[in-house]
Amino acid sequence: MKSSPLLLALALGMAALASPVRAADTTAPALPGQSLYHLQAGFTDQDGHALQWHDLRGRPQLVSMLYTNCHLMCPLIVENAKGVQKQLTPAQREKLGIAMLSLDPARDTPAVMADMAGRHRVGDGWRFLQPDADDVPALANVLDVRYRFREDGSINHTSALVLLDADGRILARSEVSSAVPDPAFIDDVRKALAGG
Amino acid sequence: MERMRPLLLALALAPALAGASGPEPGYRMLDGGAFHSSVRFEDATGLVPVAPYQLMQHPVTNAQFAAFVAAHPQWRRDRIPALFASPGYLGHWETADGPGATVAAEAPVAHVNWYAADAYCRAQGARLPTFLEWEFAAAADATRFDARDDRAWRLRQINDGTPRAIDAAADAPANAWGIHGLHGANWEWSGDFTSLLGDGDRRGQEDGEALRFCGATALAFNDPGDYGVVKRFVLLSALQPSSTLGNLGFRCARSQP
Repeated sequence: MKSSPLLLALALGMAALASPVRAADTTAPALPGQSLYHLQAGFTDQDGHALQWHDLRGRPQLVSMLYTNCHLMCPLIVENAKGVQKQLTPAQREKLGIAMLSLDPARDTPAVMADMAGRHRVGDGWRFLQPDADDVPALANVLDVRYRFREDGSINHTSALVLLDADGRILARSEVSSAVPDPAFIDDVRKALAGG
Repeated sequence: MERMRPLLLALALAPALAGASGPEPGYRMLDGGAFHSSVRFEDATGLVPVAPYQLMQHPVTNAQFAAFVAAHPQWRRDRIPALFASPGYLGHWETADGPGATVAAEAPVAHVNWYAADAYCRAQGARLPTFLEWEFAAAADATRFDARDDRAWRLRQINDGTPRAIDAAADAPANAWGIHGLHGANWEWSGDFTSLLGDGDRRGQEDGEALRFCGATALAFNDPGDYGVVKRFVLLSALQPSSTLGNLGFRCARSQP
């Protein structure tokens, strides 16, 4: 078993040679095949910093897709995720990232996303991300989120929290219908934070 | 003479203005506008707005897709991550890096799943067209921007997705927008295909369920006689993003800045 890091490093070296696009990844072990981080997608966070989807790698993440001009379900998604966080110990909380991805990047600028974060008084570990304009459909598909703009500018969309492990594999999913988190899902989150 | 100047100026400027906002090579500009879609979504009001956009004149070919795969080897059939993989992906190519001699290089690429098609378009700074954008462009025949009143033309669209389709022959004329092959032997992915139909067993339920899922649903067609649209809609809405078909390819679109 001691040889596996070496093998991984070798495998990675070859992958890096074959794929100059991801040259920055040479120090990280290869992503598992089912990792959602294989998807190339870029974001700007609520502070205006650019980052890549695979930059979320490294700790488990709670991910959802929403938009700020949404008055019914989207606040519930944020409150539901806050509710999950509240059930965790401080040590567990530090190990969990939370990422809210906008379905409406044309209107959800970093300033608008920062405003949403402020209104919900979220704590540390939260990211409110504006995806690059053409990256939303692919993000929605890997997260199995369906959405469609209505003529009035509102969006019909799946309201779900998706739990990813540190390498971006889907561990669990919670369909959000209220601000109260699903106890079974909280257990899944605790398990994800205990492992690894 | 003074009075002619604005006109002359306008005439002189027109080509420059057209050039400034002209389409990318290989693309055609479509004006968009209020469009009567044959698909009725839940919030349908009849006319839907279509913003101006650019669409590729031809579907993406085997040769073009091979060039993309060479530049982005993670999309080779032997390297594609399990997340995006499907058994048939590029299965008709002779080798992992190209179609080979038995597959026509200039033929539309098929056996590509949605993820690969989406990645191809994004790598060009483009995107997949929406279903509505496809429908808008495909409403035109060779001479009319909207030929859908022509019953005989529409009847022939029953052959869409087969070798007998209107645009299946390589020398079939472009439509009025200058676009080829929209009613061809192959189907084409749309960017929004997963959201065309909500999950069947959740539709028509009470508000609570509808809110929980909130998947947009097209419950009916405004015009069930629009065979090309109906066939395509039903086909695409039955697919998964990782699905591949021997007669399913794609082309890209661009929003107007």
